[in-house]
Amino acid sequence: MRYRIAVLVVGAVASVIFAAGAQSRTVIDKPQAVTASGTVTLSGWSVSTTEEDLLQQVVRAFERTHPNIDVKYDAIPNYDQAMLAKFSARQPPDVFYLNSEKAPTWISQGLIAPLNSYISKTKFNTKPFYPSLLRAFKQKGKTYGFPKDWSPLGMEINTQLLARVGGKAPKTWAQLTAVAKKLKPLMTGTAKPICLSAEWQRALMFVYQNRGVILKNGNPQFTSAAVRQAINFYVGLQRAGLGDTPAKLGVGWCGEAIGKEKAAIAFEGNWAFPYLPDTFPNVKWRFFPVPKGKVPATLAFTVSYSTSPASKNKDAAWVLITYLTGKAGMRLWTSKGLALPARSDVKVAFPAPSRAPLLGQAKYARVWLWPDGWDKVWSVGNNELSAVMEGKQTVNGMLSRLQSEARSVK
Amino acid sequence: MADTPERELPPVPPVVAAEQLATGGEVAVGAPATGIPGQDRSQRIKQIVVYVLLFFVSLLFFIPFFWSVTTSLKTLPESVGFNLLPANPSLRAYREALTTYDFKSYFLNSVFLATGVTIFNLFLSSLGGYAFARLRFPGREVLFFLVLGTLMIPNELRLVPVFQMLIDFPVVHTQLLGTYQGYFLINLVTATSLFLMRQYFLTIPRDYEEAAKLDGAGYFKTYWRVMLPLAGPALAAVTILTFQGTWNDFFWPLIIFLGDESKYTLPLGIFQFRTQFYTQWPELMAASVIAIVPIALIYVFFQRYFVAGVTAAGVKG
Amino acid sequence: MATVAKKRGSTLGRESVREALVGYAFVLLPIASFLIFFMYPLGYAAYISFFDWGALGKIESVGLGNYRDLSHDFLFGKALKNTFRYAVIVVPTQMALGLLLAVIVNNALRFRTFFRAAFYFPAIAGSIAITAVATYILSADGLLNAVISKFTGETYDHAWFGESDTALQSIMALNIWTTSGTMMLFYLASLQSIPTDVYEAAAIDGARAWRTFWKVTFPLLKPAHFFVAVVSVIGALQVFDQAFFVSGGGGGPNYSTMTIVLYLYNTAIEGARFGYASAIGIVLFAIIATLTLIQRLLFGRAEVA
Repeated sequence: MRYRIAVLVVGAVASVIFAAGAQSRTVIDKPQAVTASGTVTLSGWSVSTTEEDLLQQVVRAFERTHPNIDVKYDAIPNYDQAMLAKFSARQPPDVFYLNSEKAPTWISQGLIAPLNSYISKTKFNTKPFYPSLLRAFKQKGKTYGFPKDWSPLGMEINTQLLARVGGKAPKTWAQLTAVAKKLKPLMTGTAKPICLSAEWQRALMFVYQNRGVILKNGNPQFTSAAVRQAINFYVGLQRAGLGDTPAKLGVGWCGEAIGKEKAAIAFEGNWAFPYLPDTFPNVKWRFFPVPKGKVPATLAFTVSYSTSPASKNKDAAWVLITYLTGKAGMRLWTSKGLALPARSDVKVAFPAPSRAPLLGQAKYARVWLWPDGWDKVWSVGNNELSAVMEGKQTVNGMLSRLQSEARSVK
Repeated sequence: MADTPERELPPVPPVVAAEQLATGGEVAVGAPATGIPGQDRSQRIKQIVVYVLLFFVSLLFFIPFFWSVTTSLKTLPESVGFNLLPANPSLRAYREALTTYDFKSYFLNSVFLATGVTIFNLFLSSLGGYAFARLRFPGREVLFFLVLGTLMIPNELRLVPVFQMLIDFPVVHTQLLGTYQGYFLINLVTATSLFLMRQYFLTIPRDYEEAAKLDGAGYFKTYWRVMLPLAGPALAAVTILTFQGTWNDFFWPLIIFLGDESKYTLPLGIFQFRTQFYTQWPELMAASVIAIVPIALIYVFFQRYFVAGVTAAGVKG
Repeated sequence: MATVAKKRGSTLGRESVREALVGYAFVLLPIASFLIFFMYPLGYAAYISFFDWGALGKIESVGLGNYRDLSHDFLFGKALKNTFRYAVIVVPTQMALGLLLAVIVNNALRFRTFFRAAFYFPAIAGSIAITAVATYILSADGLLNAVISKFTGETYDHAWFGESDTALQSIMALNIWTTSGTMMLFYLASLQSIPTDVYEAAAIDGARAWRTFWKVTFPLLKPAHFFVAVVSVIGALQVFDQAFFVSGGGGGPNYSTMTIVLYLYNTAIEGARFGYASAIGIVLFAIIATLTLIQRLLFGRAEVA
């Protein structure tokens, strides 16, 4: 009897040891590094000299830590046109900017390479990226790029004028109207309290704040009550004399309106830098979170670094992409406040004025992202909105035209 | 005017007339050359009024250049405001424009390309224009319509196929992207120049060619020795138009020289001072002013070929 | 004085063949260049217009689908209307202004060099500077409105480029102003070729300047008219740069600056729909070709032999 127990115990122990040994042989795959070398071409659109210098700095830092890889950077004017020509000739750069607005179309045409195999091989951690931003570059479970930076729409307010009417930035629609009413007597000439772009890329955030949606299960909702109400609010501000389009204010866009003090309030994003401080250094303004309607919401615009199936050096492209969108690269790129980090684990001490109100909206910022073919819907939409704001079209007329345009997208 | 001899040749053409005028020979002109006649007082006042009016109109035409120059001397904040003149004019923008980017190369590239394209154009368009105007060959009308047809195709439509051809030219399989040859190849001759030369040659009386033929000149000699010298004003026009068109061309240099900054032309260089939300106006204007100077010089130099007709024709407005 | 019999045209067959061969030789390089870099792309565009075509090539065949869609395309309708409105005004005005400037400058005037330089300057100056100045002058609180305000006594703040009533018209004015210098050049070249005895004869007949111009000079400029008209129409129907710049690519406000080529550009570059864009291009080509043919027939007979 004791003999049998001993055998059993030995057998059990042996099995355990054997099993443990076997277990350690089928090891969970360790992340493997991708080794790459050679030249990698990096292309983006033209940016101001300050931004370009900064990008060159980041690139040089990359080259120092990756001595085998040589980066050739080009700033391309007329970016979309040039890129489409390059894609059609099967000669795209290795790494390039992908605008979230273009992503669905370029991805659906097979111009962008999915990165999943690299992600699983290297176990690259995509969790730190803000989910809404990363989602903009995902389609059908595949990831096509990592966001390099982003900006939501914030509310720029002229602080001097705001101080003269009590100094409290509006937090709700009602407060927005109230503050604008108080500002009205202070605006001279063609100036108005609020600059209202005749663009859905600005007006849409009011729709979201009103719990409206444009697409529900693929069906357009332009004529829904929530959308109608929100647009009526937006246009209503103009009708009440509390705001006007940039053209009526005598400027090209709302950022310029703040600079030239043609408006006290405008809805723009981080692209105000370095434009506003450099061009209008004497105007005092800062960012605030946008007012909330029924819910807080704002629009976000983002760009990723991506590569293409036809790119020559995809391995090096991957290494460069992960550096540029990794913690170190992104921190360097966003250190001057010219861009906002797309990762929550990058904390930067920004120069004033503060970017915190912009970053703080990350939770409820929705990326401007539409299915392939919607560029035409918005082309019609912006023309209709400008007609409405000229008094030549009704809000209902615009919404029904948009509804039919959206329905006819193939 | 009694002794007009029987003439076998038509009257002396304007360009030749000018030469004769210059050498003090006889010229078949009658009207006074220049100047205020000075007979009538009311005539003179009318003249002065006309000059003053024209002067103001011309000033209007010069406004963009004037504004470009003053802006190039301002600071960025000044340039966006409603300031006519800079408070402290400085050449800072010029220094910036010239040092930030490789402007010397851009300038030389523009000069090289514009000169080359102009020369090709002058030769090919005048030769072709002469053929279309004077030589008979089957299908001439159809081919001419083909020439006109090329003007009806916007650049955006041509972009992708031409780009693909530049990367891998059919049959010879050469890569033309990023090369000067590529640019010359696609800009050898423009339909506008060809068309212009043809129209001009049509107005030259046939008698000159007949005379040349009697002298035993072949077609090329007729073209080279007779037609070309008579086409002074048209050639001047083609020179100015082609040089300026190539000089200001943004579309094709962008497509061809993308990625090779050493081959960029001035328009590409100038464009680098603007982004979607931010334009550096003083530097942009400084670069534009630098870019205008050569074309202005070309224009001033070649426009005197229009002068010959003035002294000879002398039509009083 | 022996008069030499003038041979009108060759009667020998060999001579005709030789003339034809020389003719072909002279036009060989231009025609070859046009065939390769213009006609082949046109054929390519015609081909892909029957497909749903993306950046990487064929997506699917749609036959006449693109053209059918174009026929009830709301935006394309706007583009057609605007482009025609633009051409109908710009072409005659440009021609008239160019001719006027050429006549002024062709005259025996003092300072003609200065005037000649001034009138052509907008054409030289490059479109960035010109459009920037125009935006500056025509903005709601710009120079033009300031001048108008001084005249009327009350503040006038109309946004010329920013309101749909005047956006396209402002572009028309801008382009007429810039291209009149080029038209002036064309007319100037032709004015030079008019033989001087023509003017002498008119003067002998006692014709005054205006009459001379209308009855003598103007008709003799027919080849130039044809050229300027054709080039003007072709250019006007392809208007793009200013429309793009002024509207930021959107064709607004209220569709007023949406032109055919702008719509083509947006379809190709924003939408990456090359097949549909090519269909637009082919339709535009057909329109321009038809109009040019009509002009050719109208002017054809008047060409000086």
